[in-house]
Amino acid sequence: MREQFDAQLEKLNTELITMGALCEEAISSAIKALFDEDDALLESVFTADSGIDQKERDIEALCMRLLLQQQPVASDLRVISSALKMISDMERIGDQASDIAEITRYVKYSDVKSKVHIKEMATAAIKMVTDSIDSFVKKDITLVKAVMAYDDVVDGLFDKVKTELIALLAEDHASGESFADLLMIAKYLERIGDHAVNIAEWVEYSITGQHKSRS
Amino acid sequence: MNKRIFRSIFIVAIIILLASLAVVFGVLYTHYSDSYLTQLKNESLYIAQGIDKNGIDYFDNLSRNSSARVTWIDADGTVLYDSEADAATLENHSQREEVREALTSGNGESTRYSNTLSEQTIYYAVRLDDNTVLRISGSQHSVFSLLLKMVWPVLLVLAAAIFLSALLASRLSKNIIKPINEIDLSNPEQAQTYDELAPLLRRIAHQNKQINLQMEQLRQKQQEFSTITENMQEGLLVIDRKTDLLSYNSSAMRILGADEAVQNKSVLMLNRSESFRHAIDAALTGRHDEQLLQLNDKIYRLIANPVYSGDELMGAVLVILDVTEKEQLDELRRQFTANVSHELKTPLTSISGFAEIIKNGIAKQEDIPRFAQNIYDESARLITLVNDIIRLSQLDEGSIPMEKEPVPLHRVVQDVLNRLQPAAQAKNVKITADIQSVSVFGVAQILDEMVYNLCDNAIKYNVEGGSVSVELKNVNGGACLTVRDTGIGIPKSDQQRVFERFYRVDKSHSKEIGGTGLGLSIVKHAALFHGATVTLESEPGKGTTVRVQF
Repeated sequence: MREQFDAQLEKLNTELITMGALCEEAISSAIKALFDEDDALLESVFTADSGIDQKERDIEALCMRLLLQQQPVASDLRVISSALKMISDMERIGDQASDIAEITRYVKYSDVKSKVHIKEMATAAIKMVTDSIDSFVKKDITLVKAVMAYDDVVDGLFDKVKTELIALLAEDHASGESFADLLMIAKYLERIGDHAVNIAEWVEYSITGQHKSRS
Repeated sequence: MNKRIFRSIFIVAIIILLASLAVVFGVLYTHYSDSYLTQLKNESLYIAQGIDKNGIDYFDNLSRNSSARVTWIDADGTVLYDSEADAATLENHSQREEVREALTSGNGESTRYSNTLSEQTIYYAVRLDDNTVLRISGSQHSVFSLLLKMVWPVLLVLAAAIFLSALLASRLSKNIIKPINEIDLSNPEQAQTYDELAPLLRRIAHQNKQINLQMEQLRQKQQEFSTITENMQEGLLVIDRKTDLLSYNSSAMRILGADEAVQNKSVLMLNRSESFRHAIDAALTGRHDEQLLQLNDKIYRLIANPVYSGDELMGAVLVILDVTEKEQLDELRRQFTANVSHELKTPLTSISGFAEIIKNGIAKQEDIPRFAQNIYDESARLITLVNDIIRLSQLDEGSIPMEKEPVPLHRVVQDVLNRLQPAAQAKNVKITADIQSVSVFGVAQILDEMVYNLCDNAIKYNVEGGSVSVELKNVNGGACLTVRDTGIGIPKSDQQRVFERFYRVDKSHSKEIGGTGLGLSIVKHAALFHGATVTLESEPGKGTTVRVQF
């Protein structure tokens, strides 16, 4: 019985890693599409997003089955309940990535994006997603803290991009639409950073039993 | 063992107990029944005589405390007297078995059980001379009631039997087991034990030997395998159907950057990039797959193969090869092909263009000499280029037909400088030479080309009014040629690559300076051919120093 349970927990772990990998793929493809102006990459963002949605349903079903059949307690219960929370954050990251890809269709011919710090912001957001998934894979508390701390960097970059866009808008009224689109992308990136922090918090909860919002 | 011995002992005890009970009961009960009947007979005889003498009055005197019940029955069955009940109330007894028997044969007997079976009544009837019947009956405990009475003692004996059987069984099994337990299984043949076990022990000893042998073989195989895999530069991973890691070598861990063992954990914990997952998915659905994997600035080729046992897919084997160098070489070759085509095409396009104008008669008569000059220049450039390529491939293949001989290098250098003098003057570059007489063992023509290319570069990439200093000395027992210029210099990032074929710092392939992009490549190969080393120092805007040490 326990053996089967362990096998199922291991499967849950693998599925979560796969889902995380899909998230990384979606967001980095979206950003690459934005800067390299590659339409083929946009397709791969949408494919990854539907893969993420499918994985969310699969993992949810797996967690429910585990809860009902095995009635886990203590750390096992924490792992499963945090998995349930993590997948909704991952799913949101996938959605934001495809939103960015959607906008990318319109702003790709604009040269405004090279004038603001959006690329740095994207790199930082991707790093946060990668680190949060890594912290789950390695069950690494220090990495969890690093992700939480790094959120300030992304937030700072968002403010910076916003100010830059406002300054640019004052000079160049014609490209107003591109500025608005870029601001949306920046906001999505900022949200992705927040979701990465959420994932990291749930990783911390599954390891220590302490959740930041409740301590 | 204990249980079985106990069971057998117990069953034997029970069987003996029951058998002896049956026998004792059988013998004793018959004996007592018989003697009781005899007693009744005797009594009836006395009473019969008494009745003969006194008639019914005899009964009045009959002792009331006799245990037997006396009944006197008339020939037609009417009860005349009964010692325990009023005769008038009793029914006709003519149909009773013992009475009928007595009426016909003189005496009769029968035994009847009471309702509860706990007692039996024995009747004995005798016919008197006046044809009446005297019946005497007495009751006795039946076999069953006796048995019932015996239940408690029997149960007691049973309990004793259980206890004794258990005790005996444990003693016995302990005694039997003891020598068997004392057998040393690692060398069972030495054991002092039952003769019956000897064949088994021989067998065990034989199997022990076999197992040890096989274990040793297995260990050796395992060691061979791990020695091979551990010394592989390539990463090797074996996973099962659930992507759990079954086996790996240290190279794989190094390549994937895993700092701890992840045996029996999913391999996706080591890497979860798309190509990695794709290769694993493919292998686990039974297809061979190859992917390129980019990790820490290196390029790896990931080869994934499914593993079958019979028809069943068991897992996959992943091999990770470092192909960084190969990929870089491929990249270099692609660039070379692109460059060489470009370099060859540029002059040909001009030649074809000018020729077309002349052919179509569009060109004015007075322009034709200029066009011809252009065509001639471009052809010359093409020839130089092709010559350079031929020279390079000769150096590449090492198929220089000329024999090596001592060459006076100072004369070669002097000769080159004399030839380049006009070019230097045209660019207003001053050449200073400090030449000692040194000889090297080599091929004069190749050395000439090397020195020519070096000095030509120093002048070509110089600034107006700059200077070139050429130094030839004997350093560390070998010739050392240093060419220093005050030219445009080479940026740090390009210094590694200027020796590559067709590589140019100025990407525009400008024709102003000319050159084929092969000069320094020829220098490098010529130096290699002579076992010399080329070092380059340069600073953009200040100049370049190239030193060839033989």
